[in-house]
Amino acid sequence: MGTMSNDTLLEVKHVSVDYGAGDGAVHAVTDVSFTLRRGEILGLAGESGSGKSTLAYAVSRLLRPPALITGGQAIYYPRERDDETDGAASISKIPGLSGVRGEGPVDLFELSEDELRAFRWNDLAVVFQSAMNALNPVMTIGAQITDVLRTHRPHMPAPARKERAIELLRLVGIAPDRLGSYPHELSGGMRQRATIAIALALSPDLIIMDEPTTALDVVVQREILTEIMNLREKLHFAVIFITHDLSLLLEIADKVAIMYAGRLVEQASHYDLYKHARHPYSYGLMNSFPTLHGPRRTGIGIPGSPPDLRDVPPGCAFHPRCPFAFEPCKTVLPLLHPAVPGSDQQVACHLYDAQYRATPPTTEEIAARYEAIAEGSAVR
Amino acid sequence: MSALESALTPASVAAPDQAILRAEHLRKEFPVPQMNPFAPKRAVHAVEDASLALYPGRATALVGESGSGKTTVARMLARLYDLTSGTISFRGEPVSLRGGSALRSYRRHVQLVFQDPFSSLNPVHSVRYHLSRPLKLYGHATSRQQVTEQILALLDRVSLTPATQFIEKYPHQLSGGQRQRVAIARALAVQPDVLLADEPVSMLDVSIRLDILNLLLRLKEEERLALLFITHDIASARYFAEDTLVMYAGQMVEGGPSEAVIQQPKHPYTKLLISAAPDPDRLSADGRNRVVLPARGEIPSLVTPPSGCRFHPRCPHAMPVCRERFPKRTELGGGQWVNCFLYGDGGNPVAPANQSPATNTPS
Repeated sequence: MGTMSNDTLLEVKHVSVDYGAGDGAVHAVTDVSFTLRRGEILGLAGESGSGKSTLAYAVSRLLRPPALITGGQAIYYPRERDDETDGAASISKIPGLSGVRGEGPVDLFELSEDELRAFRWNDLAVVFQSAMNALNPVMTIGAQITDVLRTHRPHMPAPARKERAIELLRLVGIAPDRLGSYPHELSGGMRQRATIAIALALSPDLIIMDEPTTALDVVVQREILTEIMNLREKLHFAVIFITHDLSLLLEIADKVAIMYAGRLVEQASHYDLYKHARHPYSYGLMNSFPTLHGPRRTGIGIPGSPPDLRDVPPGCAFHPRCPFAFEPCKTVLPLLHPAVPGSDQQVACHLYDAQYRATPPTTEEIAARYEAIAEGSAVR
Repeated sequence: MSALESALTPASVAAPDQAILRAEHLRKEFPVPQMNPFAPKRAVHAVEDASLALYPGRATALVGESGSGKTTVARMLARLYDLTSGTISFRGEPVSLRGGSALRSYRRHVQLVFQDPFSSLNPVHSVRYHLSRPLKLYGHATSRQQVTEQILALLDRVSLTPATQFIEKYPHQLSGGQRQRVAIARALAVQPDVLLADEPVSMLDVSIRLDILNLLLRLKEEERLALLFITHDIASARYFAEDTLVMYAGQMVEGGPSEAVIQQPKHPYTKLLISAAPDPDRLSADGRNRVVLPARGEIPSLVTPPSGCRFHPRCPHAMPVCRERFPKRTELGGGQWVNCFLYGDGGNPVAPANQSPATNTPS
């Protein structure tokens, strides 16, 4: 496994997750692979039921029965155990025991309960959508931060814990005198900042953010996003950012992965995706957001609705809604491959497979197809 | 759009007779329950002063964050809430504030579509039942056969086809988008002139939102409906509505033709809202786009709202006068107006003094 360059943080390989078992099992995530580098923001986009949250929770091992990881690996590359001792120098390093660091790559799906306990929060933290539900309503913010430190750094003296808590609050833009506040005394944005502070407590290398700003107003959302970007620059953690809001993701993520019915259908840098979304679903999703500037044209969205995971269409799951669907789409499952030779934009679509179609469609062609549908539906 | 835009000349906005529904100086306070009966009465000042007019065949968007009072305005217009003060007039006639039969004849013309189609439909009743109730209540159909015919026609109008399949379904058998279509069909069953849509798509999956918005737009065109579209997403206001009104903490701060309000926002709050909205078009090739917000913070408590203009504690251009009172409406031409001292205080607009809000440099 020594071939990976050492800035790889997480390698997810062929992960599948089912809800339930046997014939009635729902395949929420099927054969998903991606690689996350240190300090990178990976955006996972998709509609409800696309499996984006399930995938992220599988990686964090937070899934509970009836959810079951049925296959695959999540290889985590811990940080070298070199800088543990010069802890005072940087805010991102605090001394003490830590996670699975320095023991070589580990498969997160193989970790025992004890190892998981060490792994979580030291290496991986999670920020949930609803800060109100994530925080304990009867504990002060300060107590909830020091609680993490007390659990994971049992030898840390109390004054140092408090100092760290103050430092963390400052970091996320909360005045230190809020240490004694209860969650209900804080506004929605402040609460989400507090959960981010808790996530940062042990300077993890990976933070999973599950729709962290969806419940917030646009202005507050923008503040939190800016904060996340600044912190990332300062502390170099990687983020898996889950959201259904693709327009937002294009602004903050380095790399975007788009899921449909449990599978990755496209993976590209945010800029490539913005310039030329290759998969017809990605294109349709992107054009489902009205724009603030430019010509005001009739948007189309995507006809139909997302499939029921108990009854996913054969072949490409998107084919009943796809304006390009042709014969192979109904029977042959497309796999992720480079959209154009040599590109790191990957797409799971037969349109980009020379076996089925000589020249891949241009962005204009995809747009034209969608517009044709729009006109067809307007007649009715 | 050009035909629509020509329909909106400033003159037609100014003519009060064309407005089908007009609300003036709406005000709503919700009393805060208190344990101590002798304590001074407290209230949530949800809507301070809201005025708007809806026109047949036109959509007006009401944009604001949570706590701005936009939903309260819609519910006052639907007469679900009583007004604390202000007037609503329908076709120039003031709407009486109380009375069962007066209320019913008002609702015959003004219908509301709720945000959440998962809770606005009754899970124990079929689509047929949901749509037959308004038909019977408002006397549009009497015999069973008539009812069925009209329900099928309604389902067809909201593109739930084949209608015969959908009529016997229950809400749990429908997807979110289909439920919202049923909710829209239920509102249409009454044959209203005005449709108030309270965030009709924000609970739906992204890829089907535009479909529902397009449906509403088509209905607006075909049936000359007057639409009020409540949203927190200023980009969809631009997509959907000819006019946009912006609310902040219960006060209306800016309004006018959507394109003018969104491309040349004047009020500092409108500017803040637009700069905070996700906008991939700002992406540059080298990647990062850095949004610098002109202001920070959140909507203040409405129990003890800031005096004067409620935006002044967050406003980068706040002046002493902003604390004292709320500015009068200044017409900027082309139908756009703003309530902000930077542009005057009623009457003719003035060029903004010392600080130019056009070149916003946050401190």
